[in-house]
Amino acid sequence: MYDNPLTKRTAVTHEVKISARGVNVFYGENRAIKDVDVDIEDKTVTAFIGPSGCGKSTFLRCLNRMNDTIDICSVKGLITLDGEDIYAPSIDPVQLRAKVGMVFQKPNPFPKSIYDNVGYGPKIHGMAQSRADLDEIVERALRRAALWEEVKDRLSSPGTGLSGGQQQRLCIARAVATEPEVLLMDEPCSALDPIATAQVEELIDELREQYSVVIVTHSMQQAARVSQKTAFFHLGHLVEFGETGQIFTNPHDPRTESYITGRIG
Amino acid sequence: MNDRHIVKSYDRDLEAIQALIMKMGGLVEVAILESAQSLENRDEELAERVRKNDRAVDELEERVNQECARMLALRQPSASDLRTVLTVMKIGANLERIGDYAKNMAKRTGVLVQMTPIDGSAGAIRRMSMAVEAMLKDALDAYIQRDAELAQDVRMRDMEVDQMYNALFREFLTFMMEDPRNITACMHLHFIAKNIERMGDHVTAIAEQVIYLVTGEMPEDERPKADRTAVEAPRV
Amino acid sequence: MTDIAAGPRRLSSTETVRAGLGRRKRHQIMLQGLGLAAISFAFLMLATLVGSLVMTGHKAFTQTHITLDVYVDPAEIPAAGLPRGGFRDVMTAALAERIPGVESRAELRALGAILSNGAQFMLRDRIVADPSLIGQTITMRVPVSDPYDQLKKGLIDRETPEAFRRVKDQEIAWFDTLMAQGAITEPFNWALFRNADSRFPELAGLKGALIGSAWALLVCFLISFPLGIGAAIYLEEFAPKNRVSDLIEVNINNLAAVPSVVFGLLALAVFLGWFGMQRSAPFVGGLTLALMTMPTIIIATRAALKAVPPSIREAALGVGASRHQVVFGHVLPLAMPGILTGTIIGLAQALGETAPLLLIGMNAFITSAPSTPFDSATALPTQIFIWADSPERGFVSRTSAAILVLLTFLVVMNALAIFLRNRFERKW
Repeated sequence: MYDNPLTKRTAVTHEVKISARGVNVFYGENRAIKDVDVDIEDKTVTAFIGPSGCGKSTFLRCLNRMNDTIDICSVKGLITLDGEDIYAPSIDPVQLRAKVGMVFQKPNPFPKSIYDNVGYGPKIHGMAQSRADLDEIVERALRRAALWEEVKDRLSSPGTGLSGGQQQRLCIARAVATEPEVLLMDEPCSALDPIATAQVEELIDELREQYSVVIVTHSMQQAARVSQKTAFFHLGHLVEFGETGQIFTNPHDPRTESYITGRIG
Repeated sequence: MNDRHIVKSYDRDLEAIQALIMKMGGLVEVAILESAQSLENRDEELAERVRKNDRAVDELEERVNQECARMLALRQPSASDLRTVLTVMKIGANLERIGDYAKNMAKRTGVLVQMTPIDGSAGAIRRMSMAVEAMLKDALDAYIQRDAELAQDVRMRDMEVDQMYNALFREFLTFMMEDPRNITACMHLHFIAKNIERMGDHVTAIAEQVIYLVTGEMPEDERPKADRTAVEAPRV
Repeated sequence: MTDIAAGPRRLSSTETVRAGLGRRKRHQIMLQGLGLAAISFAFLMLATLVGSLVMTGHKAFTQTHITLDVYVDPAEIPAAGLPRGGFRDVMTAALAERIPGVESRAELRALGAILSNGAQFMLRDRIVADPSLIGQTITMRVPVSDPYDQLKKGLIDRETPEAFRRVKDQEIAWFDTLMAQGAITEPFNWALFRNADSRFPELAGLKGALIGSAWALLVCFLISFPLGIGAAIYLEEFAPKNRVSDLIEVNINNLAAVPSVVFGLLALAVFLGWFGMQRSAPFVGGLTLALMTMPTIIIATRAALKAVPPSIREAALGVGASRHQVVFGHVLPLAMPGILTGTIIGLAQALGETAPLLLIGMNAFITSAPSTPFDSATALPTQIFIWADSPERGFVSRTSAAILVLLTFLVVMNALAIFLRNRFERKW
């Protein structure tokens, strides 16, 4: 399978899905992201790692304009999705977010039934013409999130009654129900136990076949396990971006090395 | 990059396995020198001691393996820490092989003392083993100091050992042709020389591990080789 | 180096802790004792208040009645003259039947005073409803007048010298005779809830006040609830955070603390003065109370909206909901229990509010219950105010009874608020 040495190998490259050029993010006077250039590929899991406050979550939230909800936050630079500027005036964030789904740190199902949780996105975007359509979309999303077998007999019971891991997979199902092209995950396993974490990681690996997945994680082991590309952020800079195996065996930047080996740096 | 981990016990564990390797290296160095000395001095007692001491090297290698396995399981090292653990394991295996060759030399010494000595051979073998011992010492120093240049130097010096072996090979061949009664002793001496040449190869492997540890990449150029005995007919 | 052994031996940490333990325990016990004392005091005050109200008020929940066989004399009440007629004389005559020997007009008048002033109107209403009763003997149970009610309930001391007593010895004798005949009963005082206000305590009831309060609260709710929630949603979810919104926020918080009498004056000037709305109407009362309740509802709603975890907003935004879909689809439903609780507490406060209603004239004397919010009416607290001001002895217990009714409503509303909070509180 791997017939060339690690150092010469890069992940099988796919076409670029999201491209960021010279991105700066300001919270009022404070510059949280400094001149970040990155290309996020399709059908690839890209992990953002870095110490707390390094800007990785902030940058992730730029990719679906979740930062818009914060008044003092402003984004400079160019971010394109399939070559189209997502901050262009013609792009509505609502439309963008249907295309770029998001899964959050804490499982946050709506206090509604499992069915309504998954069906909410398609419903508000008018993706289902009939109840039968919606049934199909919900089932497909739940299957894709590897949750269908566990919940098919209790679709009308509340989503908040599921276990933590199931809730997080429900949130993933909710995110994929709108047929997004990119999935952003902000520390999706930080509130889960190891078994549930493993299930979500397996799911992320499966989702890679159809989506471009970007995951922010504090667990370097998790980044190493699930991602093909890893980006290391430090103090708002993108310090190093490369093939995950390379980052974890032989990082080029001493800051990356210090961080991933747990040294004082 | 800072040297110290945030978790201090991580540093202690890393230092501990490297200390084990150094201890092993020290034992192996002594074994090389003593086995050569026992051959030169026809000292059966010393040879016996070298054979016995090899057990300590084997035990140390076992401990190094256990500690590395524990470290991989508990700390999941990455980057330079991962490379440290990986190289420690490989160096341990190399040292263990070198120890085995020294033990084998000591065994053959036990046989050789009962035969007529071959003029000059013991001195030549002793010089060769000293060269290998010096290489091993430098390789281990390069490891401790993370000195890739020194390691590269060690790697190059293997050629000298190979050349020494080539010379001895021809010499023994001559002796055997001169007097067939010398054949048994010369065969043993040849094996000893070959063992020392193999030790040099293992030391080279250790040096290459040092280069990998420091740079993250294995040296890509051909390993320097001067042992032509396997590919050319000897010109006598 | 100092010699450690030479200095005083240092206490080990366990000993140090133990040394301070007694003091710490004393502090804790003192604090607990103070808290307990405060609670006990508050409870005692409440018990005293409710106790005294019940002591004086419980008597108003029964009313002394007299049962009479009334001969509807066609000579006094000719069918042709209805609804006029000598109803009072007929009632007095029926009473005189039971007490032999009462002949003089003065004595008859004194005897007639046993009956409530309303008795003759009860007879009239009955005859008007059914004129065929003229010429027959019918059984009537009518309230006795206030002094005799007091006498029956033991509130008039028979030992007091006759000159200082409201009922004379002769009248007590008559009443005792009637008691001995079994004509006097003391059933539950339904009139307290069925009648509107009256000058005569035995006839006075809370119906007008209850309906007036209900109309006022309804108007107050219909205005303050949607306006309050709308304002709160705008301020919390949509308004840009700048100096203007800060100013508005400060003002709303201050409005909630403005004394209610100020709202009354405002209503008097604006609703009655400028708009010329009708005085004493529950509609105007409701508007005034709405002014007062709205800040409370806005504050409660904003708190409830803030309490909805941001993760729910993020979740909805993340799947591409627009801001109004987030607010109306997710945040508002989750905040509803809190909003309702705040609203009910605000309304309970409005229900008990007196001062602004006094200023807009809802303390008028009105003897009929309002049928629309634009009719003149009183409200429960103003009715209490009127009765507390009335000189008749019978109003003393009725005031307490009215306060008990008001307190009951307040307790019920607060209980409803607690119920809603517990029932719909969501776990997330």
